[in-house]
Amino acid sequence: MKKLKMITGITWAFAGLILMFILFPGMNNLSMSVSKLPFMKINPNYNGGVVAKQIVEASCTLDIRKPVFDGLLKERKSGFVQIDWRGTVPDNIVDTIDYDLDEIPDFTITIDRIKSTTSINAMSSKVLNIGVSTPTSYGWAVRVNLKK
Amino acid sequence: MNNNLVSTSMEKSFGKSLLYTLPMFLITFIFISGGKVDFSNLPAALAIVVTFLFMNILYFMMHYTGKTDKFRVILFIIFALSLSFTLIKNMMEMRHSMSFSQADLLECKIPFCHLVIPMMIIPAAFTKSIIFPGSVIGGFADISSMIILWLVATLVLGRGFCAWGCFYGGWDDGFSRFRKKSVIKKISESWRWMPFAVLFMVALTAAMTLGPTYCDWICPFKAVTEFEQISSVESVAKAVVFISLFLSLVVVLPVLTKKRTQCSFLCPMGAVNSLSNKITPFVVKIDKKACSECFKCVQVCPLFALTKEDVKNGKASVFCSKCGKCVDVCSKNAIHFGIKGVPAGTMKNFSRNLFLFVSFLFISVFSAGSIINAVQSIFKLLF
Ligand code: SF4
Ligand code: SF4
Repeated sequence: MKKLKMITGITWAFAGLILMFILFPGMNNLSMSVSKLPFMKINPNYNGGVVAKQIVEASCTLDIRKPVFDGLLKERKSGFVQIDWRGTVPDNIVDTIDYDLDEIPDFTITIDRIKSTTSINAMSSKVLNIGVSTPTSYGWAVRVNLKK
Repeated sequence: MNNNLVSTSMEKSFGKSLLYTLPMFLITFIFISGGKVDFSNLPAALAIVVTFLFMNILYFMMHYTGKTDKFRVILFIIFALSLSFTLIKNMMEMRHSMSFSQADLLECKIPFCHLVIPMMIIPAAFTKSIIFPGSVIGGFADISSMIILWLVATLVLGRGFCAWGCFYGGWDDGFSRFRKKSVIKKISESWRWMPFAVLFMVALTAAMTLGPTYCDWICPFKAVTEFEQISSVESVAKAVVFISLFLSLVVVLPVLTKKRTQCSFLCPMGAVNSLSNKITPFVVKIDKKACSECFKCVQVCPLFALTKEDVKNGKASVFCSKCGKCVDVCSKNAIHFGIKGVPAGTMKNFSRNLFLFVSFLFISVFSAGSIINAVQSIFKLLF
């Protein structure tokens, strides 16, 4: 029994050595495999969720994302919707958004990029306020807080 | 018995030490430089050569002198400093600030670190997603690469990650060596269970809020890496917490106690790594026949991983980071690196050589990028 334990221990230690040898040269392949695991995607609370509707305008594209209410076990009572303007974004933005795609406008958003001011005119009781409004590497992004 | 003779039994002759260093020399050269150094970019080439030689000299000295921690800690501290330096430098170049913006958060551009791993497990199981605004793959410190690095290190080294891999540990390890003698001597060992309480708390709150609460509210290392832009009362409160915890647990208490207080009392990853010590092949063992029960090893252990009972039981506790400080201080050569299943007091040299090879390979290759970057920046400043 003692000998078996000893052999197992030493074998495990050598397996550790081999693992270390594989780790760095195999880093790209290993991390690629890890990235393909089913849970390896960023939670919508961080990446803003999937794009539900894309409106192509003259110089820029407007992405209306799926509203995010994600909780651990069930949806939360409050959440947000993210809107992205991509491309050559005008200095003054005025857009009316139907975030739940029911063909009824939910809010109008007004952005002055020069003064960095954003205001919202809610047309639905579910629309609360502006959560985030910021320039991004691709243009401009806004998160509007919502309730269910 | 001649104590001196016993204490030096891990030492090797110059030639033998060179021989033991040769494989590390070749492997680190291939892993760090890709097998060739491009001298057309002189500062970059010199930085690679200096880093690579410096690392191998440390490894050689470990064999030549028989001391482990004495040389390990040099690399460990340099790793911590250079990582912070590289990160801050990148942030300053890209964003002209140490803080990240709302755009960085929205675009998921925040570098991922291993401390997030304990918080993302429950949400990953229930929501099939990662609760962190980082990049899944590609870019600086992506999530997949960090998970793989931590997973392999923790499987092989267990809590050895906290002495041979973590790019934060060098901070409090360094400050714990500032004074020759400790000012605060009596600290209850029961505090070492504190990281488990922190782990439980942050895992629970992270699951409830779907947010990395430790990173958002507690992590002392935000003070030397990156943090949220100061734009609200909440962000001011967070910055106060980060800086206070850094100053108290990473600087002042380690200086006064000579212990790694942040790693011993706070870090939730330390708790996870302690659990992984149960499965790793390498352990620190005590040859009870050789031990004189002077308990010098208990005194010097920076992580409260060794109690008098542990010494009497013949092995270090699960909190052990395999730093080697206790091994270096033992004049009887009774405490030593061992392999699970191999009786204490036997195969000491073999176990140490194997452990040193594995752990040094990890820290040297893992830290090389940051150190080379820092050395290169110093060269650019000087010449
Ligand atoms: S306890 Fe935490 S901070 Fe300290 S070395 Fe371990 S993982 Fe790093
Ligand atoms: S028991 Fe020894 S090797 Fe383990 S952490 Fe303490 S000093 Fe380091």
